Amino acid sequence: MIPREVVVVAEHVAGELSDITLEMLTCAREVAFPLGWHVTCLILVDDPKPFQALPLASDRTLIVTDAPLGSFNPAAYTRVLLHLLKDLSPRLVLLGNTSVGMDLAGTLSLGLGAPVVSGCTRIRGEGERLSFTSKLCGGKLLARTDVGDGLAIALVMPGSYNRELGMVDRVPPVEIRASPVSLEALPVRFLELVEPKTEDVDITKVPILVGAGRGIQSRENLKAVEDLAEALGGAVCATRPVVDQRWLPRTRQVGRSGMTVKPRLYLALGVSGAPEHVEGMKGSDLIVAVNTDPDAPIFETAHYGTTVDVLELLPFLTERIRASRGR
Amino acid sequence: MKIAVILRQVPDVVQELVIAADGRSLAKDELTYITNEGDEHALEEALILKSRHAATVTAVSVGGDEARDALATAVAKGADEALLVSIPLERRGDNHGLAAYLAPAITSGGYDLVLTGVWAADQLDAGLAGLLAVQLSFPYVGGLTAVAVEPAGNRATVHKEFPGGRLGVMEVSLPAVLGIQSAEQPLRYASVSKISQAKRTMQVKEFRGSLPNVEGVHVSRLTKPEASAKADMLQGDASRVAETLVRILRERGLV
Repeated sequence: MIPREVVVVAEHVAGELSDITLEMLTCAREVAFPLGWHVTCLILVDDPKPFQALPLASDRTLIVTDAPLGSFNPAAYTRVLLHLLKDLSPRLVLLGNTSVGMDLAGTLSLGLGAPVVSGCTRIRGEGERLSFTSKLCGGKLLARTDVGDGLAIALVMPGSYNRELGMVDRVPPVEIRASPVSLEALPVRFLELVEPKTEDVDITKVPILVGAGRGIQSRENLKAVEDLAEALGGAVCATRPVVDQRWLPRTRQVGRSGMTVKPRLYLALGVSGAPEHVEGMKGSDLIVAVNTDPDAPIFETAHYGTTVDVLELLPFLTERIRASRGR
Repeated sequence: MKIAVILRQVPDVVQELVIAADGRSLAKDELTYITNEGDEHALEEALILKSRHAATVTAVSVGGDEARDALATAVAKGADEALLVSIPLERRGDNHGLAAYLAPAITSGGYDLVLTGVWAADQLDAGLAGLLAVQLSFPYVGGLTAVAVEPAGNRATVHKEFPGGRLGVMEVSLPAVLGIQSAEQPLRYASVSKISQAKRTMQVKEFRGSLPNVEGVHVSRLTKPEASAKADMLQGDASRVAETLVRILRERGLV
């Protein structure tokens, strides 16, 4: 018999499910419902309390408990998952395309003999076949892939599914089990969780943000970006490559591993629009993108765009805004 | 301590990407290759570790001729050894095959740490680092922004990124494979003269194994995202665009 179950491997931090978990549940429902399959939300944790009464959009919630599962530990997770997934023998396992899911995919793939499709923005069941759409090359390309009839593992791109639909108005049956395998002598230990420092500007609270991307080219050019932000009464934030260069502190990073912002205006300067960044700013009220590459994926998210050179545009824009404000 | 860094050549996504006539791959003639950005960060982190400990860094470059250039750059930056792993272009995107191919080359080196980028721009299956760790029976943690090795050299303390700017501090037994998200410091640059000098003087070892027959993910269609949701593009030169933009912002009460 062909397995007819989708398992969502939940992500959680500090006793709370991460958004990606709810997005994956929405994805799982979308695949499972038309095919009459079941959805299991699998939560690995030390204390089941915060999770056992959640109205998740799954047919059941399976909570597996053991002390080392309190915080994410790839060695503990893979040990439990390899055991459980062999037992459950689902058709599809969903992981987040996140620093958690990416740690698990390789071990699960080789341990279970299952292919992995990463960067998934859409998964469909066509008859009994599964077809995947993935983003790659910084969001510039979409790949349609299909896999065989056995178990497949998919990494779901954050922000691809509606997280609100991951919760419903009833609590599904909940089963709590102790870990089926010993988690002694793990090669990885979780020591502590460090919260971000907020002594700098809190970019999640600023109504106007000017986002600097790689197209800004140098630290020197940031001055013009800061001038513009000041003229607008906003703050400068940045993409990962700019922060990696240490042109701006980590607290200014927008995107998957940085902050999620929803300002009234987001001005994206020299930002290509890689999915990791877009995820953190696509909820902004008004998005204006400046990038010389007309194929830059940022133009799919922006409301207004221009391909003029950002370094040429900056002085004109700052001057006109100053003039407009002075009036 | 012995550290290996795996450097992959991937399409430069800043350049225009042309889909080949088969509709399932990129047109090879139109591609520019660069070293995967995450792998560059892995090299930087390895060189940072080398500056703190008595370590040797082996740059392992995967690909064809362009992979040789990546080796010269790595040596110019401070890598001690250069290992070229020749692999045909069309197999490079499949990390399952690549991990199986690389495993014997890495095993024979007896490394304490294997570092590579947590992600590659053209990847469609699981990450190389995690797959390689399974092949080597080493532990794996990825998404890292810092690595510190204990003086005894049998454990590393790493910083792993979580959403919302949080960091997890973890301890990993060595030998291990680590997936680097970004190095602790900005990438160092190697001057053109240093790179050309490395090209002339470096000793490149070559590894050629038999390609494993691993069934990967089958791409049925490659497309560019649809332009339906495209931004309203503002026309004209910089001055004109600035004028239009300020009008839009003013209409919305933003200036």
